[in-house]
Amino acid sequence: MRVGIPKGLLYCKYHPFFKTFFGELGADIVTSGDTNKNIMDMGVKSCVDEACLPIKIYHGHVCSIIDKCDYLVIPRIMSVRRHEYICPKFCGLPEMINHSIQGLPEITFEPLYMQNDSQIYKWCLSAGSVVTGRKSKIKEAFELALKAQKRHSTGINIPGENLTVMLAGHPYIIYDGFLNMGIVKKLRSRKIGIITEEFASKSILESQINKLTKRPFWTFQRNLYGAAAAFYHQQIINGIIYLSSFACGIDSVIVELIRFRVGEFPLLVLKLDEHTGEAGVDTRIEAFIDMLERRSFHENHHTPYGKRLYSSENPV
Amino acid sequence: MKITIPHMGNVYIAAKILFDSLGIDYVIPPPNNKEALMLGSKYSPEEICLPFKLMIGNYIAGIEKGADTVLLVSSCGPCRFGEYAGLQAKILRQLGYNIEFIVIDPVKSTGFREFFNRIGKVGAESKKNNISRLNSIFTAYTAMSLMDEIEMMAHELAGYEKNKGECRRLLSSCKKDVFSSNDPANALRILRSYRNKLKHLSTDSKRNPLKVAIMGEIYTVIDPFPNLHIEDLLMKAGVSTYRKLTPSWWVRDTLLKPLGLNSRHLLEASNEFLPHYIGGHARECIGEAVLASRNKLDGAIQIFPMGCMPEIVSKSILPAISRKKNLPVLSLVVDEMTGEAGYMTRIEAFLDLLERRRENVRVGN
Repeated sequence: MRVGIPKGLLYCKYHPFFKTFFGELGADIVTSGDTNKNIMDMGVKSCVDEACLPIKIYHGHVCSIIDKCDYLVIPRIMSVRRHEYICPKFCGLPEMINHSIQGLPEITFEPLYMQNDSQIYKWCLSAGSVVTGRKSKIKEAFELALKAQKRHSTGINIPGENLTVMLAGHPYIIYDGFLNMGIVKKLRSRKIGIITEEFASKSILESQINKLTKRPFWTFQRNLYGAAAAFYHQQIINGIIYLSSFACGIDSVIVELIRFRVGEFPLLVLKLDEHTGEAGVDTRIEAFIDMLERRSFHENHHTPYGKRLYSSENPV
Repeated sequence: MKITIPHMGNVYIAAKILFDSLGIDYVIPPPNNKEALMLGSKYSPEEICLPFKLMIGNYIAGIEKGADTVLLVSSCGPCRFGEYAGLQAKILRQLGYNIEFIVIDPVKSTGFREFFNRIGKVGAESKKNNISRLNSIFTAYTAMSLMDEIEMMAHELAGYEKNKGECRRLLSSCKKDVFSSNDPANALRILRSYRNKLKHLSTDSKRNPLKVAIMGEIYTVIDPFPNLHIEDLLMKAGVSTYRKLTPSWWVRDTLLKPLGLNSRHLLEASNEFLPHYIGGHARECIGEAVLASRNKLDGAIQIFPMGCMPEIVSKSILPAISRKKNLPVLSLVVDEMTGEAGYMTRIEAFLDLLERRRENVRVGN
């Protein structure tokens, strides 16, 4: 049996689990390729107009492997922490796919709660029963898959020469080079250091979260706001670049919370959608880096009201 | 303490009756209007949903009339509504308004003590004893149900009325009369008399008007301003409309949710297409579409604010319901830039389509 796993949304975080689990069950794994123009176009065509870009791209990934597999894994990830959700669209993902794309093979509908192992196992029992009837085999594959997942970690932490920015955003935007137009490469070519939410200190993150008036009920909010506030508090970054998809409901709140927390601190919000032009993104990143450089190296030593703005010779 | 509340359709009528009978000082901001929207969009995050922006406009109008406390009911995810209170408080404070927010969160997430503590803050203002307080809550709820019932009757009867425009006239004068009364008992009397008038409205039972379900995101379907008075427009066109989401439905739904007894028929109807709770009222919307086809309505109109996460999911499912159940569905997305002309054209075109499906095109009326 060929099991298809679309390479979109939280695939970047949980692919070892799904691949190992279905691989151990004896299925052939079919994954879609890296996101490209073709996949995006297919997604935009099949998906409901109002959805965000990552959801559209996920539809594209599904379209690209639809005739290559007999069973499609569309995880309905409801929650990864107690009292927290991912996003309403994740909760309704199988339905969105099922009703927007024609000619689907069998897909997984079972909700996947990832708060503890027994909940994940429950999902595995339901999803795995299509591949094999033997419960013992599912149990074995499940345990191996958990181990594989534990070995896997994501995150970017590259120290820069002088400047470090926090690259914030949902994991499926940060780790999809097509979607974010290779922002990591762009920053590295200017020798800017990058740090992502995964490297925030847990205790400082918690203490920052506790200062909020309401406990966050989205995991992305906890991670992104908490990490941004923690890095800012520790003063280990010079600025924040927030990659957000257009019309993302969760980001509209998180970005605002970060803005309230950091005040005048440099924060660049890049909105991505299927029409985003690369030149405009380049210009904004360059301008942001220029601003960070001036702010950190020049204006700190001189009053902006003084003779000149640069510490180097004034060409005029 | 002078309390103000954000608007949502006719909730202000029940709130006024509640505060009047509790003897608490309050300000009801002017109904949602262009100015509230303008102020709201100016000070709110760009991509937040429309209700948030209108509410900011309401608060500012309320504060300018002397309010110092905002009373708001909230939730705990997964839809953005749960984050409203925190952000709105921050925005108002940044604007220099020194204002207190009393946020009534579900007991499940705050715990009983905090819940009653917050309610107590409001109750402390009232000089009444506990029994008459309970009585005022009951009066307010009765008024809310009556108002919803009157609205529902008027919306349905608009398709059958003999004297054209009578339902609209009755509905608008009912709202005006009940709002101008400061005596709760009198307000209830007014509501009952209007319900009676509607019951004895002269109707033409031979008529077979178009029947349309109104569904979608709760705020934008209940409040007439964000949906550009769609129900009023349909009443004018002699169309009977049916809407399940009302303020009193919301109260019952919220109270019964912990027991799992809330709106069973809607959830049962939604099972075929969306068997899981995904936040907001997406499941209710799907359920309403299925019920609309079961009840042989001619079509359904879904309304939601731009970027509403749960309704985007239901919008992607609605075409499937439309195909399988043979029910025309029109989805309208509203935000602060909705143009009236384009919106009206789409509604008119949809009504024309519904009429043609019956194979009797009526020219004029």
